[in-house]
Amino acid sequence: MTVHTQGAAPVAKEPPPGGPASGKPGQGVRGKPTRPVNWLPYVLIAPAVLSLLVFLGYPLVRNVIISLQQLGRTEMISRTTVWTGFSNYTDLLTNDNFWTVVVRTFVFMAVNVALIMVIGTLIGLLLNRLGKKMRLVLSLSLVMAWAMPIVASATVFRWLFDTQFGVMNWVMRELGFEGYEQHNWFESGFSTLAIVTLLIVWASVPFVSLNLYAGLTTISGELYEAARMDGASNWRLFRSVVLPMMKPFFLITTFLEIIWVFKAFAQIVALNGGGPDRASETLPVFAYVEGMSQMSFGTAAAASVLTILILLIAMSFYFRLMLKQEEEQ
Amino acid sequence: MSNTVLADKADKADKADRVGKVDKAAVKARRRKTMGKVWPNVVALLLVPLFLFPVYWMFSTSFKPASEILTKDPTFLFTPTFEHYGSATGVDMFWTYVRNSLTVTIGAVVLALLVSLAAAFAIVRMKFKGRKGLVLAVMMAQMAPWEVMVIVMYLIARDAEMLNSIGFLTLIYFVMVLPFTIWTLRGFIAAVPKELEEAAMIDGCSRTQAFFRVIFPLLAPGLMSTSLFGFITAWNEFAMVLVLNKDSEAYTLPLWLTQFQTAFGNDWGATMAASSLFAVPVLLLFLFLQRRAVSGLSAGAVKG
Amino acid sequence: MKRKLIAAVGAAAMVAGITACGSDSDSGDGGDKTLTIWAMDGSAPDAWAKELNKEFEAKNKGVKVEIKVQQWNGIQEKITTALSEDSPPDVIELGNTQTAGYAVTGGLADLTDMKSELGYDKWNKGMLPSTELDEKLYSAPWYAASRVVVYDKKAYADADVKPPTTREEWIAGLEKLKKKGDKQPIYLPGQSWYVYAGLLWDEGGDLAVEDGDKWKGALASPEAEKAMNFYKELQSFSTGPKDADEATPQQSTEVVPKGDVASWIGLGWEAGGAIEAIEKAGDKADFGYFPIPGKTAEKPGSVFLGGSNLAVSERSQNKDLAKEWLKMATSQKWMKKYAEATEGALLPNSPAAQVTPAKGSFAEAMVESAESGHITPITPGWANVEADPNPIKEYMTKVLKGTSPSDAGEDADKVITERVNKS
Repeated sequence: MTVHTQGAAPVAKEPPPGGPASGKPGQGVRGKPTRPVNWLPYVLIAPAVLSLLVFLGYPLVRNVIISLQQLGRTEMISRTTVWTGFSNYTDLLTNDNFWTVVVRTFVFMAVNVALIMVIGTLIGLLLNRLGKKMRLVLSLSLVMAWAMPIVASATVFRWLFDTQFGVMNWVMRELGFEGYEQHNWFESGFSTLAIVTLLIVWASVPFVSLNLYAGLTTISGELYEAARMDGASNWRLFRSVVLPMMKPFFLITTFLEIIWVFKAFAQIVALNGGGPDRASETLPVFAYVEGMSQMSFGTAAAASVLTILILLIAMSFYFRLMLKQEEEQ
Repeated sequence: MSNTVLADKADKADKADRVGKVDKAAVKARRRKTMGKVWPNVVALLLVPLFLFPVYWMFSTSFKPASEILTKDPTFLFTPTFEHYGSATGVDMFWTYVRNSLTVTIGAVVLALLVSLAAAFAIVRMKFKGRKGLVLAVMMAQMAPWEVMVIVMYLIARDAEMLNSIGFLTLIYFVMVLPFTIWTLRGFIAAVPKELEEAAMIDGCSRTQAFFRVIFPLLAPGLMSTSLFGFITAWNEFAMVLVLNKDSEAYTLPLWLTQFQTAFGNDWGATMAASSLFAVPVLLLFLFLQRRAVSGLSAGAVKG
Repeated sequence: MKRKLIAAVGAAAMVAGITACGSDSDSGDGGDKTLTIWAMDGSAPDAWAKELNKEFEAKNKGVKVEIKVQQWNGIQEKITTALSEDSPPDVIELGNTQTAGYAVTGGLADLTDMKSELGYDKWNKGMLPSTELDEKLYSAPWYAASRVVVYDKKAYADADVKPPTTREEWIAGLEKLKKKGDKQPIYLPGQSWYVYAGLLWDEGGDLAVEDGDKWKGALASPEAEKAMNFYKELQSFSTGPKDADEATPQQSTEVVPKGDVASWIGLGWEAGGAIEAIEKAGDKADFGYFPIPGKTAEKPGSVFLGGSNLAVSERSQNKDLAKEWLKMATSQKWMKKYAEATEGALLPNSPAAQVTPAKGSFAEAMVESAESGHITPITPGWANVEADPNPIKEYMTKVLKGTSPSDAGEDADKVITERVNKS
């Protein structure tokens, strides 16, 4: 806990170790000792738990049930239930396309998260070095990009990269590149995903940068100064001052970005519908296309169950890390 | 330390003070390296247009006369027109969509804040069996792939006769933003020193009173910044409302946004005008809350 | 997905009006019935719909008819879910290639008993097949339309090209236009698959063929290859994108009005939209029209006869009323008015309701080619094939970019076969 406190709450600066919650975790307050069975916390968490159970837990269960059925146009409309056991799963798992999509999803995710974290961190550090005015200008432009609703920004990016009248083709021509008369930016799955990446990185970097900067302001100037006196290089400074101080920040931000990129859906669908030739589909888009456009809701459910499982397995390491963090509190 | 001092801590004044310190340190460092003074500004100057351009282009297209939108070489100077805003807002039932969007978004956010506040408080300040499990569940709930659960939600809504219902949609959005809200608020609550609460209780406040008199005011900025995220999620949601609400009485703005791309061609002017109108509330909210959102988020998010 | 196909005529202007007709609904004569009709964007001319509904409401006291305009994009999901609900729209317009797909689900009311009432025998024979499944009638044909070649009269005259009647003449004319050099001879994007289907039918092939009691894709056939080679030849005269269809960018409003297109292949409402866009920009459009040339001068090239049917949903709460409305809307009287309202650019469901097209009009060229009208394979699974991502489009792009037609055809056939046999 001490570490995070420094990341955020100023409190930790003055009473370093004995910070706010550094004691035993969430113990009853002094003067009002914990009762043997304290019902209060359960009352407090009940609404949250109930809503999650009803609106998330139940749908998830129902999703698993559907994944064991054949549910197409006919079954949907006639409201019949046709059990097919695990055939939706075996179909998917033996489908080469599915595995291509899985691999693509992970590569896509890794590239995006890496770019977001690296660029975001660099800009965050940059913010910390700028003068007041310049910092304000840069922060404002970051905030604008950050605040753009996904539906709007995806539409705008499609317009920027429009084959006929997109301004990006003009920019490329002006910069002296050839072949940008009506260049189709969505020609291949790769180039489509490259644009999606640009969109996602553009929209996500501000979150990382601004938060990192906010965190950095809480690292005391003396600390830098001392390190500099010792003749530390920028890299050293980052590694031995910033990184350890901001470890929880990097941990949680990377976690969130992984989830957000993995779930990126509207961006891909809005830019090119997962095309051309389904070559820019990631797992959620794949599940959606199978389900909605092919009306194989059973297959789609199976795909989404697999998506969840894959994500859980991939993140299990992270969960452990964060739970450990939790215990330290 | 007195309450006021502590209260100040959450305040930006204090932050600005610290910023000042860093600045001074940085200035000293820069004196040593003159080069170091120039390049950050140069890089920043290059970055600004990169981040601003899409936003700028959206607004600029929305004000362009139709004849100047569909050109191979873009025009940068033009006589602004409001015609696209006219066609974007002239759509039937536009105000119904606005009302629906505001209802579901604000409804979901307020509900999420209330429910999360209680849960987060319990998680941070109380010890109970299943606490760790709850934290894990909240963490995992953030990964819920809502877009691919659309059909399941549809079936549930259909069976419960909740299609075309703004209320049901609000509840779904509420649960969508709930995990993140709990997660973030947890950080904010943990940032409020416990001693404060204890002091208040020694002064004779009950625990509830202590919460509302002491903790709640300190949490206000945190609540605001947390609500931003919920706001964006609910404001943006598209896949669910598309399938659940077929009745245009129950449409929300994201559906409106896509309706200018019809069989009769993409009306880019109207689409961009609609995008602008759609983005403006969020932009304003961000500008208004950004300071707090940022400092708050580092409190929230940084606290793993 | 065949979103754009249908849409009404010339006047894109009326679109603005159509959307409006759903809104005057709130008067509510106190707990009375409302009949909900789903019509596609551009299908029901505003004035026609208003007049029709007024008369219907006058005949059926206390009934309010509400037309809700739908977009083609994503319509299949919407209809599928709607038909599964307890109070679905009462009457639904269905694309003719998608009707069978819904008939098989039990979601559409059986109209077989109404055959004579509806005037079954008088219907256009080309529109019939899509309305039936297993000898039962599930919908009534509404209208149909097909594509013709639209050309800029001045550009053709400047290059001394006359409207062709055979493929050879067509290509020769395009060569001449190309030499002239100031406009692209024909605008043809790479995924205009309804055009391709026409060429394929000319060769005697089809998109999918029956194979025992199943269907299979047929794009790896020699006929498909021949058709694709001709398409490729045509497409080589165009600078249109190889990996998009005619709607991205919208050829009628975003490409043709730019003025560098000597000819293009489109529907009536597209031609109208282009004219309107050109006039709005202050120019004058002078279009001529000719049917897509066939292999010989005797018969115009095959065309896809796209269109829509009207069906009553099985779970409709007002089934009898819905049937009444459907009967009235598709009756000869109202179809005649419909043909007039659309200026002959859409074929009404019976020859008797047709209006004689004006000389030199789009409708004239379209009616001429109607004898060569075809429709996509009639099987419930066809709707799946058309759904995006459409394997036929992918096939076309691949071939245009250099993959051998047989390889690309095999890939496409795999997908088509899998999808077409799924209901």
